[in-house]
Amino acid sequence: MSISTPGGPERRPTVVSTGKKPAAGRPAAAEKPAAKAGATKPGGGKGPRAGAGGKGRKPVTPVKVSQGRSWGPIALFVAVGVLAVGIIGIGAWAVYQGAQPWQKRADAIDGVVDFRKKDKDLVKGGNHQPGTIKYDVSPPVAGPHNQAWQNCMGDVYDAPIANEHAVHSLEHGTVWVTYRPDLPADQVAKLKSKVQGKEKLMLSPYEGLDKPISLQAWGFQLKVDNADDGRIDEFIKTLRVNASIEGPNALCDQGVTATGTTPRDNLQQNMPEQPTQ
Amino acid sequence: MTAPVTTDSELDEAPAADEGGRPAARRYGLLAVAAAVAVGLLLGYAGGLLTPTLTRPGQNSAEAGFARDMTAHHNQAVAMGLLAFRQGQDAEVRQVGVDIATGQQGEIGTMQTWLRSWKLDPTGDQAPMAWMPDGAGLVKNGLMPGMATPEEMAKLRAASGREFDVMFLRMMIQHHIGGVHMIDGILAEGHDDDVLAVAQVMKNTQQNDLANLTAALKRLGGTP
Repeated sequence: MSISTPGGPERRPTVVSTGKKPAAGRPAAAEKPAAKAGATKPGGGKGPRAGAGGKGRKPVTPVKVSQGRSWGPIALFVAVGVLAVGIIGIGAWAVYQGAQPWQKRADAIDGVVDFRKKDKDLVKGGNHQPGTIKYDVSPPVAGPHNQAWQNCMGDVYDAPIANEHAVHSLEHGTVWVTYRPDLPADQVAKLKSKVQGKEKLMLSPYEGLDKPISLQAWGFQLKVDNADDGRIDEFIKTLRVNASIEGPNALCDQGVTATGTTPRDNLQQNMPEQPTQ
Repeated sequence: MTAPVTTDSELDEAPAADEGGRPAARRYGLLAVAAAVAVGLLLGYAGGLLTPTLTRPGQNSAEAGFARDMTAHHNQAVAMGLLAFRQGQDAEVRQVGVDIATGQQGEIGTMQTWLRSWKLDPTGDQAPMAWMPDGAGLVKNGLMPGMATPEEMAKLRAASGREFDVMFLRMMIQHHIGGVHMIDGILAEGHDDDVLAVAQVMKNTQQNDLANLTAALKRLGGTP
């Protein structure tokens, strides 16, 4: 250790010039200080004494040796310290990121559109309105809606559903995954596996999408090209339930389970799954 | 570690000689610093442990009063909502009924969890609404604002058809108006951030409901 600092830089050229491999090894160099005349001056002068005299003679040399040796522990402590600070720093950063309000995490998703910032009136909350409703955003992300919500207990719909019911599901905290009808079957299967059976999620094809896949939460939208896109899981994790403006207790069951884009609210007795009494 | 401290050449034989006081003093100094650091850490840890206990809402706090009274208030809305889900004729009455029932039951869970985490009983011995400054004046026949009497609940249970729908909508509108008043009370009196955040969501939901209940009542030709 003590030799390495002064001897290091000078030893390398000798190895390159001679091509002798044994000379590069530290023990070999210390044992044979006379192997290279040029290299032994700084290293060889101290080396033998440090090894032999360290134990026997105390008066003079130990002072120098202890100075030289202390670099080892210092380097070690610095290394351990840097490592520790790094670990703590990464941990703290992860905790900080995880503790960010969900709105911030949502805004950090690349490509997400935050209508809560763009259009505050739109996302305030939606009153019930019967019949067909025109939405400016496609697929819609907020606004008035029919009084019945689309069932959103991880339902997978194989045909398009009515916006007027789906928007009510969004209000209750659902992430609505939509895909263009021409999306390959294996891609649809991947989306299905993310949604099926999980409350506050639903999946349906959607006619006229400008991208293969579009995700909606109340006031948020993200469009992606591929079911393998990591942002899909990020969007779902961040906005499912969180995006509900009625808290985590809004109901997803007892909604409309039928497909078809015509809203059913104007048909009074056409509510599916309702007890008859 | 100790080698660099004693590297001064004169001190080589010091441990055995008469000058042994200086390193010993240094060692005691180090020990004292270490002890002080340890005590400081322990005090900080104890402080950290105690702070939540000392600052959490107490037995007579507005937060505890709200959690208990709103649990009772919500319980009646759950009962009314489930009646609407079972007996309502109008589709929207049934739909709103089940939404209110499950939503408020969920909120009851939140409020009861608060009380448990504050190490308080689920119910208290204070009069209803005592946590609100003008609370006592709002209580009629022992009922909190907007709550239906047992007779009204019996009538609702016995009703059917459009009569039930209109009666339910009227009662739930009154219930929500009273509920929003109580929520305004905790928003004014409360200090706990979590309680305030949840109360705000409750208020948003009930105000949203109120708009829809009122519109439904109008659609069915009833008067408030």
